[in-house]
Amino acid sequence: MNALKKLFGGDTRQFGMIFALVALIVLFQWLTGGITLTPGNVINLFNGNSYILILAIGMVLVIIAGHIDLSVGSVAAFVGMVVAIAMRDWGIPWYLGILLGLGLGALIGAWQGMWTAYVGIPAFIVTLAGMLIFRGAQQFVGQSNSIPVPRSFQYIGAGYLPEVGPSTGYNNLTLLIGLAAVVYVVFSEVRRRRAAKALGAEVAETWVVVLKLVLICAAILYATYLFATGRPGTSFPIPGLILAVMVLIYGFISSKTVVGRHIYAVGGNRHAAELSGVKSKKINFLVMMNMSIIAGLAGMIFVARSTSAGPSDGTGWELDAIAAVFIGGAAVTGGVGTVIGSIVGGLVMAVLNNGLQLLSVGADWQSMIKGLVLLVAVAIDVYNKSQGRASIIGLMMKNFSRPSGGPGTPLQPDEVTSTKETISREA
Amino acid sequence: MFGKAGKAAAIAAIAALALTACGRSDTGTTGSSSGGEAFPKDSAIGVALPKKTSENWVLAEKLFNDGLTSAGFKPTVQFANNGVAEQQNQISAMISKGAKVIIVGALDGSQLGTQLQQAKDAGATIIAYDRLLLNTANVDYYVAYDNFKVGVLQGQALLDGMKAKKPSGPYNIELLAGSPDDANAKVFFDGAMSVLKPKIDDGTLKVLSGQTSFEKAVTQDWKAENAQRRMDTLLTGSYGTAPLDGVLSPNDTLARAVITSVKAAGKPLPVITGQDSEELSVKSILAGEQYSTINKDTRKLVEHAIVMVKDLQAGKKPEINDDKSYNNTVKTVPAFLLPPVIVTKDNVKTAYVDDPVLGPLTK
Amino acid sequence: MTVPTTQTDPVILEMRSITKEFPGVKALSEVSLRVKAGEIHAICGENGAGKSTLMKVLSGVYPYGSYDGDIVYQNEIQQFRDIRASEHAGIAIIHQELALIPELSIMENIFLGNEPTKRGVIDWAEARLRSTELLARVGLRENPDTAIKEIGVGKQQLVEIAKALNKSVKILILDEPTAALNESDSQHLLDLILGLKGRGITSIIISHKLNEIEQIADSITIIRDGKSIETLDVKADGVDEDRIIKGMVGRTLESRFPDHTPKIGEVFFEVKNWNVAHPQIQDRMVCKNSSFFVRRGEIVGFAGLMGAGRTELARSVFGRSYGHFVSGQVYKNGKELTLRSVHQAIDAGLGYVTEDRKSLGLNLLDDIKTTTVSANLEKISKRSVVDTDKEFAVAEHYRKSLRTKAPSVQEGVAKLSGGNQQKVVLAKWMFTDPELLILDEPTRGIDVGAKFEIYGIIQELANQGKGVIVISSELPELLGLSDRIYTIFEGTITGVLDKEEASQEALMKLMTSTRKAA
Repeated sequence: MNALKKLFGGDTRQFGMIFALVALIVLFQWLTGGITLTPGNVINLFNGNSYILILAIGMVLVIIAGHIDLSVGSVAAFVGMVVAIAMRDWGIPWYLGILLGLGLGALIGAWQGMWTAYVGIPAFIVTLAGMLIFRGAQQFVGQSNSIPVPRSFQYIGAGYLPEVGPSTGYNNLTLLIGLAAVVYVVFSEVRRRRAAKALGAEVAETWVVVLKLVLICAAILYATYLFATGRPGTSFPIPGLILAVMVLIYGFISSKTVVGRHIYAVGGNRHAAELSGVKSKKINFLVMMNMSIIAGLAGMIFVARSTSAGPSDGTGWELDAIAAVFIGGAAVTGGVGTVIGSIVGGLVMAVLNNGLQLLSVGADWQSMIKGLVLLVAVAIDVYNKSQGRASIIGLMMKNFSRPSGGPGTPLQPDEVTSTKETISREA
Repeated sequence: MFGKAGKAAAIAAIAALALTACGRSDTGTTGSSSGGEAFPKDSAIGVALPKKTSENWVLAEKLFNDGLTSAGFKPTVQFANNGVAEQQNQISAMISKGAKVIIVGALDGSQLGTQLQQAKDAGATIIAYDRLLLNTANVDYYVAYDNFKVGVLQGQALLDGMKAKKPSGPYNIELLAGSPDDANAKVFFDGAMSVLKPKIDDGTLKVLSGQTSFEKAVTQDWKAENAQRRMDTLLTGSYGTAPLDGVLSPNDTLARAVITSVKAAGKPLPVITGQDSEELSVKSILAGEQYSTINKDTRKLVEHAIVMVKDLQAGKKPEINDDKSYNNTVKTVPAFLLPPVIVTKDNVKTAYVDDPVLGPLTK
Repeated sequence: MTVPTTQTDPVILEMRSITKEFPGVKALSEVSLRVKAGEIHAICGENGAGKSTLMKVLSGVYPYGSYDGDIVYQNEIQQFRDIRASEHAGIAIIHQELALIPELSIMENIFLGNEPTKRGVIDWAEARLRSTELLARVGLRENPDTAIKEIGVGKQQLVEIAKALNKSVKILILDEPTAALNESDSQHLLDLILGLKGRGITSIIISHKLNEIEQIADSITIIRDGKSIETLDVKADGVDEDRIIKGMVGRTLESRFPDHTPKIGEVFFEVKNWNVAHPQIQDRMVCKNSSFFVRRGEIVGFAGLMGAGRTELARSVFGRSYGHFVSGQVYKNGKELTLRSVHQAIDAGLGYVTEDRKSLGLNLLDDIKTTTVSANLEKISKRSVVDTDKEFAVAEHYRKSLRTKAPSVQEGVAKLSGGNQQKVVLAKWMFTDPELLILDEPTRGIDVGAKFEIYGIIQELANQGKGVIVISSELPELLGLSDRIYTIFEGTITGVLDKEEASQEALMKLMTSTRKAA
């Protein structure tokens, strides 16, 4: 127990959501007789949920900034439909189709961002209007029909990495990605530790860090193994790859860039942010616009996976994305939330969905169970906050998103004697 | 010291992979299994059904479960109440469970291509149930009632019913179609229009709203509320004074929505068609409100789908009776079509004699 | 359960050995408090000493069971489950942040949650009658139908008291009741509390304004670092301000202001003929033809009553962050500047520390380090990417140099006391390296010890050659700190006094008349 505490920085609860996810996976693995963790199923899990997870990335930024976007499903469907029609009727190649889709998403986002940021209409209203407008527009341009998309385009929603190099019995590219992830995790931890030491902060004991790294790396390698050993022709799926890239990009933006800081600032206290020189209107505009671009991307991935764009695409997606974000520890009032947290939240929902489907549980029960899980996850978070304890999810995610001296190593101020960085100006 | 830890992790990584030297398991039994290879009697069978919006689907769920279980199979029957994405994931899950045959009642027949390809790659046979699967080579059989025939019967019933009430035209009618994402909706509509269109052209039938195209007549998601709303608007818009003689309704749920709307408007009930033999509509026919329905006995359809599964299990080629009508843009799907039966007040007592639920109603 | 009292004095309330712990922090440790019936009992202590926590324990905000120790009230041990329970027993608390609903009327607020009903329907006639009576008792002459948002903070405070009186209160707890009030409103409130004492209502007051406490309190309990230090009887012990301070900080402060010899340079910042209209009401001017200048190394005071337009003037200069700009010029080093946004103002070397720390100054979700760098992220960023190591170093530097009391720079600012929060805000602006720093009520809600430190920081900034503007309602503070003081009345600058000629009387005269001084 003591060891566990050391491992997770004195508070095992911090990792509650990841534990929940792991527990859920183990539970279903047992209940389904080992089907959950088969290559095919894990690939399905990513293929079937990547577009929701991608939406959650945009949604968490919107929610951190203190807004909400109800239009993502309609926007995704509209973009998907327009791209499908453009490729069919104008014969444009798939890559131009994707560019067109992203551009259209940006345009729609600019429209919604303008109303939200510069006219000052609450995002709830603007995007409720958007939900109706773009649903209608989608059915209008598609004439309520399904429009098939070409095979080359389907790659982004249902494609796999090619087989290259020697025949190893694995998908080689998947192996490379997995190893790269391991190397990245190890090196970033080393770098973080060095920085913490340089700043004079206390660092965790070596064995703690090593054990932690071993656990994380083992998880990555196991996942790599699963993905690399699927049916020949399969690998880590392309939508999963797009998702991973998006997580890296947006995780970085939200925690490490000036824009990211400004999003948190605006959501946490807009007036204080404005008086600190943050251009809150610009931030709101960017956040809303970004959401629609991401919605467009999600819509295209779904259409690619479905092999055609249909009139009821995207219905209810906004709710799935919002649920993922809140399970992932974001606050309704804004200012709180992380990209990784939302992905974990989305994965909890996805694993739950998948497991219940494998168990042949009906859609009615699934819906009830998912609703309860959402409620319980957020309730535990709220309860912990009200008890003066730090939010499980918030704290845990903080370790991921805003690294500072290494997770689980509270800095002891008295031991900080000198700083490497000297500030020229004296107070 | 950390370099050491990093190296250790890298070594562990390589070792882990090296130990599991076998690599991928070769699960890909080769492609086509449309007849030929038998499979074990206790295999998993997947049944993916659309939204639980009518009694027939609820009944089908029970029949599939009972029928397949009693034949020794392990069935998974699921509804996609939350949309196409859910149905995609359900089919994926069925593949994961190793289903040998997947029966698909598609929510949108053209949006399952990726999953059907997966199923094919995993060696499953796919039977399209009630609704055809479009734009894919990966559908082996189609089992359904003859939907064009359904439309024809509905159109004819509408004409007959109006003629019985009022011997000569012109008649004022309105048209309702099903949900645009259901491939059958257009087939029903086209079938009915093959009878009605000539009469509209020669002036016997008048559609006062002018909404005669499929796109204008659609009812999104087959929802009664959508049909009722449209009917309300049509009644106030075009039938303030003019009488409404008939309504083409593609199924019973929508037919009853029309009846509700007309009653609320205080107008005399027109001749209204239907389909599916839902309990409430059969009662309505007995009460003289709804004019007709179609008996497409779900029992027979499910029964036949199960027969197909049994044939496949035994390595036999399932029986088909149509190999040229159903082209899904990629291939012509071999089909087994069951004949629909029109039911009006005249034959309602005989039509459901064998039906355990509806039979007693008509006595 | 009846508990025998140990003394013959009519003690109405006794809190015995109250201990309250938060995870990792012991907020109160064995604190005891004895309040006699009918007295005005003051609780003094530095911020973070535990005064508010103690009152939250008493009023049931922290329910029975979440603390150790006993509350004996009217000879019975109480187990308050929530605020309603304590209110029901006759203990009402009026918080620093008023609990009134701005959109509702005075009357509706008074009876909120306690509406007089007749067969389940609110009896507004009865409510009106009673609220008129209550308003008369607290000396507030306003129509009961006036919306709360339309009356000032001073009057809102009175409405809160009326609301408490309506619940037939026996003990009234006031947490910093005069913090946001001007001189005359404060006096009115203090008179009212004395009046309530005459009617047998016991009051417990938490305040940093020691002169007020000296004026009205009968006894004083001093709390330091979560422990009760002593209880003083004001009349018997001959208590004065210095005595209270000694108890609060554990030592005597020789001077309330650090020694400082100003090194004043040339004029570098000047505002001329500044005119600004109210943000909603276009024809109402909040700044009228105001002109002022600041020299390098100079601390310039701005004196004025609440609502005189001090904050409005400062914020409108600071990148037009308040009101509608009408006309006027800003010069720095002789060159005219156009500051259309806060961003431009910061770039031009201006900084503004708000009077309203919690709603305008801080993102309470942030930690110390994020806050410290938030107004100058560019400085620790390369190509828009924040260097978190630098961030940590910068925050740590300021934490040490300003002596901010916090376990680490990763501590959330919401957990800090007012004085330490203010230090973090100061650090944030110092990191922008401003040439002119405007401090709006820099010591509001801050205890004596921290005030002294903040004065020191302000003087240090001036010593570095920066211009500092201090806006304050406390005249002694302005007199002690400033090299020169402008007075403002109704949006107009009515005069300017040098340190030597300034006195409370002279300032007061200029703060309350439109007559322009020479």
